[in-house]
Amino acid sequence: MLGHNLQEYAWLIPLIPLLGAGLVAAFGRHSPARGGWIALGAVGLGMVMALLVAYETFDSAQPFEQERTWFEGEGFAFEMGIYLDNLAALMLIVVSFVSFLVVVYSLGYMAAEGDRRVRYFAEICLFVGVMLGLVIASSFLQLFIFWELVGLCSYLLIGFWYEKPSAASAAKKAFLVTRVGDVFLLLGLVILYNSFGSLNFSTLFAQLEDPAVVEAHAQALTRATFCIFLGAVGKSAQFPLHVWLPDAMEGPTTVSALIHAATMVKAGVYLIARAYPLLVHCPETLLYIAVTGGFTAFIAAAMAMVMNDIKRVLAYSTISQLGYMFLALGAGGWAYWHAAEAGDIASADGYTAGLFHLMNHAFFKALLFLGAGSVIHAAHTQDMREMGGLRKAMPVTSTVMGLAVLSIAGFPPFSGFWSKDLVLESVFENGEHYWLFRLLWILAMITAAMTAFYMARLWYMAFSGPENEQAHESPRSMTTPLIVLAVLAAGSGAIALILPNPNSFTLLINYTQETSLDPQKVIEHIFFSYTTYISILAAVLGLGLGWWFYARPETPGGAPRGDLSFIGDSPTLTWLHAFLGQRLHMAALFDWTGLRMWDTVAWFCDRFDHYVIDGSVNGLAALAERSGQRLRRVQSGFTGHYASLSLGGLAVLVLLVRYLIPLTGWSP
Amino acid sequence: MIAPENYLVLSGLLLLIGAYGVLTRRNAIVVLMSIEIMLTAANINLVAFAGVHHALSGQVFALFVIALAGAEVAIGLAIMLALYQRRGTIQLDALKLLRW
Repeated sequence: MLGHNLQEYAWLIPLIPLLGAGLVAAFGRHSPARGGWIALGAVGLGMVMALLVAYETFDSAQPFEQERTWFEGEGFAFEMGIYLDNLAALMLIVVSFVSFLVVVYSLGYMAAEGDRRVRYFAEICLFVGVMLGLVIASSFLQLFIFWELVGLCSYLLIGFWYEKPSAASAAKKAFLVTRVGDVFLLLGLVILYNSFGSLNFSTLFAQLEDPAVVEAHAQALTRATFCIFLGAVGKSAQFPLHVWLPDAMEGPTTVSALIHAATMVKAGVYLIARAYPLLVHCPETLLYIAVTGGFTAFIAAAMAMVMNDIKRVLAYSTISQLGYMFLALGAGGWAYWHAAEAGDIASADGYTAGLFHLMNHAFFKALLFLGAGSVIHAAHTQDMREMGGLRKAMPVTSTVMGLAVLSIAGFPPFSGFWSKDLVLESVFENGEHYWLFRLLWILAMITAAMTAFYMARLWYMAFSGPENEQAHESPRSMTTPLIVLAVLAAGSGAIALILPNPNSFTLLINYTQETSLDPQKVIEHIFFSYTTYISILAAVLGLGLGWWFYARPETPGGAPRGDLSFIGDSPTLTWLHAFLGQRLHMAALFDWTGLRMWDTVAWFCDRFDHYVIDGSVNGLAALAERSGQRLRRVQSGFTGHYASLSLGGLAVLVLLVRYLIPLTGWSP
Repeated sequence: MIAPENYLVLSGLLLLIGAYGVLTRRNAIVVLMSIEIMLTAANINLVAFAGVHHALSGQVFALFVIALAGAEVAIGLAIMLALYQRRGTIQLDALKLLRW
């Protein structure tokens, strides 16, 4: 390679796309594709750089660190720098690669947008830059800064069609809801800084290796990690802050693919993985993470089953899959803590599983979104009930979407199967020690079946049925990224596992160097464990039910799309369907609470304004008016009065100056 | 040499007489004359103390006051003439239009 010092230039990785953003903003108007090619170049260069640095990082045993003092005061200093370990390298690969493909796809997808593409490409470049900056940040503080910046980019891009009221309000909603989490994250960082005096990853992690330090700060650590997790809940759209992600689908589909499926929403998962050295000392937080993840995965999958907007189905699916990742991370950390407590060799398989799922999900979900974009491009609607019959017209899109569906459903040997199985496995193992994990495992298994069902439903509703004559396959710039992503979505799981030692995923991305993570053993375990076959069964069951309800020959495409007659008779099912369709009434609940709160505050403000502010102003005015009414009587119009008043005034002055002031002893 | 107290008594008396006239008279011309008496009282003081201090500035001041008083009377009489032409009277208690 280029020598062992490429990591020294890792700071260029976020800088190149940021520079690209500036170039697009400055010269985009006069360049081909309105800055699209500049963006492509910048993101591409960033990707090459990121891949090289990631490769080098995987190659070196120790994390690479580089820091400069950002600002310092008496007794404290904050550093800016770069922290490269295998986790950061994995994120670099995923983020830069998906970003690049999305920019390529955007060239075709956004072609009809005219001059607005300048804004689009500048914002995409900005996002890629700050997202890459986020994953190589060397301290929680720096991470927080980039964390806020990706939130800003998300806001800007959701509101890309800002003249549409729904897009504008969705952008605001995304910004405000994630902000709730961000406040907690900041609070967590303050607690951390107060307890440990540093927010640097390396300093912090080194301190935590000492059991005495952990003991001394146990409570602060629990509180801090809890707050940090709430930050991740906001960003990664977990219950109860998941409400912004489905609305975020108002943005262009490319943005949904990049920001709201593959990268930004993973920042929360990344944050939890990054904070693992802190978390493994806080079993309560880990349990909370696992339960939140499992519950979110379940309800989001349930809602995905009834949505009719293709992008909303994918949004709920994303929330659900993110829930899987949190479930795995929580379970892995808890297992590590439990083993360490018992004095066993501690390992955190869930950590590997969660991040494995993160990588695979980035590929297949980006593929699903970009495929959905291609479908929307052809069908000119997002409502799946109005689609159908696109299989012949769009051979590439329908095939790659099919692969993605099989992958996310967990059908072997596609990538989703491997990572989902590892996730379920890590949860299942914990069940021996704590009953809650058994429950979570069952929940996750049901979720797996539901996932397969709603993905099959999506595919059949979009592609099967009587042929659509008008639709056309999308242009080459859109199908090429789809094909690349399809290869990855199908193969990334198996390939990453069977790479020769020490390049196998499980050996590169783990929390402890553990022999149980030897890829051979992992694969053996997958094949010989009965839980694997249960999860395959769940996937097949889900896919089969999807086919049964939406594509079986007895109800050929002529029947109404998404025929709901099978729930028609049962009041419980009808109620459930409406309940899920109304998104658990949570949006309504939030609106109601917000309005109620707002009305109350407004009522108080109104009273205050009316009585205190207006009262004092009006009172002063009335006082002035009344005293004026009295005082004007002095103006009698008689010359004699004026003369006597001035003489009297003179007399008073003389009295004052000659007699009264000397009496007080004051002299000028 | 006359003692300065005498001047002060004289000018004080003149001032009081003038003030009394200003306050009690209804006729504008009489009021104007009373003001002249008050000015004279001031002039006596100025001249007297110029003599006491052997400084000429007091006398110069007195000259200025006399000149000003002349101007004042001219303007005052002109105003009264105009008033009389318009309103037919210069009785001050009848001229009370400028009031609240």
